Amino acid sequence: MNIVSLQNYIFKKIDRPLFGSLTLILIIGLINLTSANQQDMTNTMSQIINIFIGVAFLYFICNIQTRTILTFAPWVYLITIILLFVVDFFGIKSHGAQRWISLGILNFQPSEILKISLPLILAWFYQKNTNKIDYKIHFLAGLLILIPFYLILTQPDLGTSILLLSGGLIIIFLAGLPTKFLITSFFGILLSSPFLWNSLLDYQKQRILSLLDPFSDPYGAGYHSIQSMIALGSGGIYGRGWLNGTQTSLDFLPETRTDFIFSVFSEEFGFLGVLAILSLYIFIFYRCMWMTSKMQDNFSRLLSAGLTISLFTGFIVNVAMISGLFPIVGVPLPFFSYGGTSMVVSLISIGIIMNLYSNKTLIAN
Amino acid sequence: MKFIGYCFLIFFFLILFRFFYIQILQNNYYSTQAYDNSIKVIPIEPARGLIFDRNNTIIADNKLNYSLEVIPREIENLDILINKLNDVISIDTEDIKKYKRILNNNEYNQTIPIKSNLTKKELAEFAIQSYQFPNIKLKETLKRYYPKGSLGVHFLGYINRISKKDLSILEKEGKKENYIGTDHIGKAGVEFQYEQELHGESGFKQIEVNSIGKPLRTLKTYSAKEGNNIHLTIDLKIQKIAENAFKNKKGALIAMDPNNGEILAYVSMPIYDPGLFIDGISHKNWNKLNKSPDKPLLDRAINGLYPPGSTLKPFVAIAGLENQLRMPPFKINDPGYFYINNSRRFKDWKIGGHGEVDIIKAIAVSCDTFFYGLAIELGIPKLNKALANFGFGKKTGIDLPNEKAGLLADAKWKMKKYNKKWYSGETAITGIGQGFTQVTPIQLALATSKIALPNKSVIPHIKLNSQHLKQNTNNIAPIRVSNKTIAWVKEGMENVTEDGGTAAFIGKNIKYKIAAKTGTAQVFSLKDGEVYDEEKIPEKLRDHALFIAYAPAENPKIALAIVVENGGHGGSTAGPIAKKIFDYYLSSEYR
Repeated sequence: MNIVSLQNYIFKKIDRPLFGSLTLILIIGLINLTSANQQDMTNTMSQIINIFIGVAFLYFICNIQTRTILTFAPWVYLITIILLFVVDFFGIKSHGAQRWISLGILNFQPSEILKISLPLILAWFYQKNTNKIDYKIHFLAGLLILIPFYLILTQPDLGTSILLLSGGLIIIFLAGLPTKFLITSFFGILLSSPFLWNSLLDYQKQRILSLLDPFSDPYGAGYHSIQSMIALGSGGIYGRGWLNGTQTSLDFLPETRTDFIFSVFSEEFGFLGVLAILSLYIFIFYRCMWMTSKMQDNFSRLLSAGLTISLFTGFIVNVAMISGLFPIVGVPLPFFSYGGTSMVVSLISIGIIMNLYSNKTLIAN
Repeated sequence: MKFIGYCFLIFFFLILFRFFYIQILQNNYYSTQAYDNSIKVIPIEPARGLIFDRNNTIIADNKLNYSLEVIPREIENLDILINKLNDVISIDTEDIKKYKRILNNNEYNQTIPIKSNLTKKELAEFAIQSYQFPNIKLKETLKRYYPKGSLGVHFLGYINRISKKDLSILEKEGKKENYIGTDHIGKAGVEFQYEQELHGESGFKQIEVNSIGKPLRTLKTYSAKEGNNIHLTIDLKIQKIAENAFKNKKGALIAMDPNNGEILAYVSMPIYDPGLFIDGISHKNWNKLNKSPDKPLLDRAINGLYPPGSTLKPFVAIAGLENQLRMPPFKINDPGYFYINNSRRFKDWKIGGHGEVDIIKAIAVSCDTFFYGLAIELGIPKLNKALANFGFGKKTGIDLPNEKAGLLADAKWKMKKYNKKWYSGETAITGIGQGFTQVTPIQLALATSKIALPNKSVIPHIKLNSQHLKQNTNNIAPIRVSNKTIAWVKEGMENVTEDGGTAAFIGKNIKYKIAAKTGTAQVFSLKDGEVYDEEKIPEKLRDHALFIAYAPAENPKIALAIVVENGGHGGSTAGPIAKKIFDYYLSSEYR
C-alpha cells in the first residue's frame, strides 16, 4: 500500500472540499480569537484543544456505521432531556441564565447538544414511521421539539430555543408536512404573537425593542448593538488591521470571544475579510446541502438536512444579530466563537453529515 | 431541498448587503463614532489672571483647591453615595444644597463638585478610600481667592459659576468654546469688565479611554494660555483708610488723580464678601444681601443717584460767570430768603441771611439766596448746558459695568415724565442742587477734578495703563471755561476750608490747602415753617451729606467726592473722611 492509497484509506470517509474550507475557517477563527482576547493566548490554546477534541469526534463518527447512529438516536435524545432538567435544577448561572453543567474541570451546555440530538430523534422518529406518515406523526414529532424548546426557553435562552424550534419545524416540513398546514400555522403564530409577547421576560422585550431603534437607549439595551455596528462600520473595506480595532482593544465591544467574535473580525479585516469568510460559510452550507441531496433514505436526508439547517440558522442569526438585523439573543457563531460545547457539537454535526454521505444509505451497511 | 437552497441564498445576500451598507456606505459615520468612543477631549482650564493694586498688592489671587466632583449622569442614587462618602469625609447639608443648586443651574459642566475646599487631612483620607468611589473624581483646580476679603468689593466685583444664561451669551458671542473647561465667569466689577483679559485661553488634552472611561494614554496636549494679570489704579491703603473712615455709615467715595483720571479709591458702603459668590451663592446669603434695606449689592459710586445739594453750586457759579452774570465785584444783600414774583418765598439755610455776598463768598458760605436768583436769571437751558460741560447728566465712561448717567432735568423732561409744566421755583432749587437733578459720586469726582485742572481731559478709569482709555481720552476736548471764571470759583472753594467757610474746621492745622464744597441733600422736604432738627428725625430720613474737594489747592494731586447717606450736614460728616485721605496721600512719606 503506497502513501497515497494510505491517505485515501485514512481519509476515505472525509469529504475534502468540506473539510478543507472548514479548516480555513477554524484557522482564521483562531487568529481572530487571539485579537479578541487582546493577545492573551490562554483562550486560543484551549480553543485549539476544543478543535482537536471536535475533530477527533468528527473522525470517529465519520468512520462508524450509520446504523449505529440510528440505534443510539433515542438514547442521545433522552440523555439530553435529562441533562436539561439537571441544568434547570443544578446548573451554573452565567449572565442571568442557567445554561451550564459542571463536570469538575469541564463545563458544558446541554442546550448546544440539542442541536444534534433533536435532528437525530426527529430523523429516527420519521425513519421508524416511514410508511405511515400523517398528521398524528407530525403532531408527535412536534411534541419531541416542544419539550426541549420549553426547557431551554425557561433557562432562559431565547436565542437557542428559537433556533431549535425553527430547525425542528423545517425537519417536519421536509418530512412531508403539507405546505398549506405550514401557512396556516404561520398565521396562527402571527395571531398569537401578542400573547407570546406578554410571556417574554422584560430583558427579552427590551432586546427586541432596542433592535427597532438601538439608538433610543444608547447606554441600556441598545448598547451592545450600537457598539457592534460601530465596530463593523469603522472597519470599512480593508479593516483596521489585526489587533488594531479600538472597539475591541478598548473594551467597547461586549462578549468579544463569543457572541460578538465576528464583529471583532469585521472591524479588523473589513468588508473584504467579511466577504471571504461569508463565502467560506456559504460554501460549507451548500456543500452540506449538496451532500444531503445525494442521500437515499429518509433518516439520512432528514438528519443531514436538520444538522445543516441547525448550523446555518446559528450562523445567520449570529451575523444578523451583530449587524443589527436581529435582537441580541446570545447565539455563538459556529466554528468561530470561543466555546468547547459549541465547537465540538458543530464538528460532530459535520462528522455525521460526512458519515451519512459516504455511506449514502442505511441499506448499504 | 431546492427551497432551502434558495433560502440560504436569500439570507446570504441579505447579510452581505447589510455588511456592505454598514461597512462601506456608512463607514465614515461609524469611523467617527469609533473615534468618539475612544478619544476624549479633556479641557484644560486656564489660570485666571490676578488683580493687583497700583502698588503690586494682590487683591484677587488664585489658590490651589481640591474638590470631589461627580458627573450627575453616572450617579444612580445620590443619597446612598453621600452616606457612603460621609463615612470618609463629612458632607453636611450645606454641601448637598450647594450641589443641588449648581446641578439646577448647569447642564454644560461635565462635573459638579460635591465637596470643595478639602483640607489636607480630608484629602489624605479620601485618597486612601478612593477605590470605593469610582464615580467620584478628585479635581485639582485653581480657585479664586480674595485675600483682602470685602475690601474694595464694589470695583473688584466677583466671579460666579457659569450659568445657563451666561452660556447662551457666550454662545452668541462665539466664545463658548473657549469656556469649555471653565467653571467660573466674572459677574461684576473688574472681574466682569476685564473678563476677556483675565480668562485666558482654554487648552485641551486628547486622551484615549477604554469603555469604562479609564484614560489609557495622552495623545495630544494643547496647553492653556493663562489670563493676563491686571493692575489697577486703586491704592489699597487709601481704599482701606476710606472704607474705615465711613465706619458703619452708608455712602460712596471716589478719589481720583485729576491729572490723569486714575481712580485712587473707590468706595461704596456697605461692603460684602465677594468670596460668597465663588461656589455659587447660597439662597440664604443671597436673600440676606439682596433684601437688606442697606442695599450692600448696590454700587453707589457709579450706580447711586443723589441730589447733589450745594456741591452743585461751584458749577452753577461757573454757568453764571461764563454767561457774564454775577461777575465780581457784583454783590447781593442776602436777607435770608428769596422771593419769586413777590409771592413764593425760598429760605436760605441760614436764618437771617449772610449779608453782603459776592460769588466767591456765596460759594464759601454756601449762600442759597445768591444761587436762587442766579439760576432764575440764567434759566434751565443755559444752566444745564454748563453742567453737561462738566460731565453731569451723562456717563463718565469709567471702565466698570452698568454706570448710571444721572439726570439734568428740564421742562421737556418733566412734561414727558409727569405731564406737568415746569415752574420757576423748580429752576430756583435746581440752582442749589435740589429738585430733579441727580448725580453719581463718580460724576461729582470727575467734575471736581475738572475744576481743579480745567486744561486736562481725563476719563476716570480703574485699570492702570489702559491703552483703550488713552485713545478715548485723546478724543475729549478739555472744558472751555475762562481762566478768570475758574480762578473766582477756586477762590470760593478754597475759602470753604478757611474761617467763615462751611468746612473751616478741616482746614485747621494742615500744611497744604484744600479746596472744597460741602453739600446737604434733603431726603424729605420740610413743610414751610418746620424746623429741621436732626435729633428728632429717624436716621433713614436724615439728609445726605455730600462733599467734594481737591488738594493741594495750588497744585491739585487728588480730587474726591463723598456721599454719606443720612449723614446730616456735609462738612461735618464727610469732611473728616476727605481729610484723612488727603493727609495720607499728600504726606511726605507717601511720595
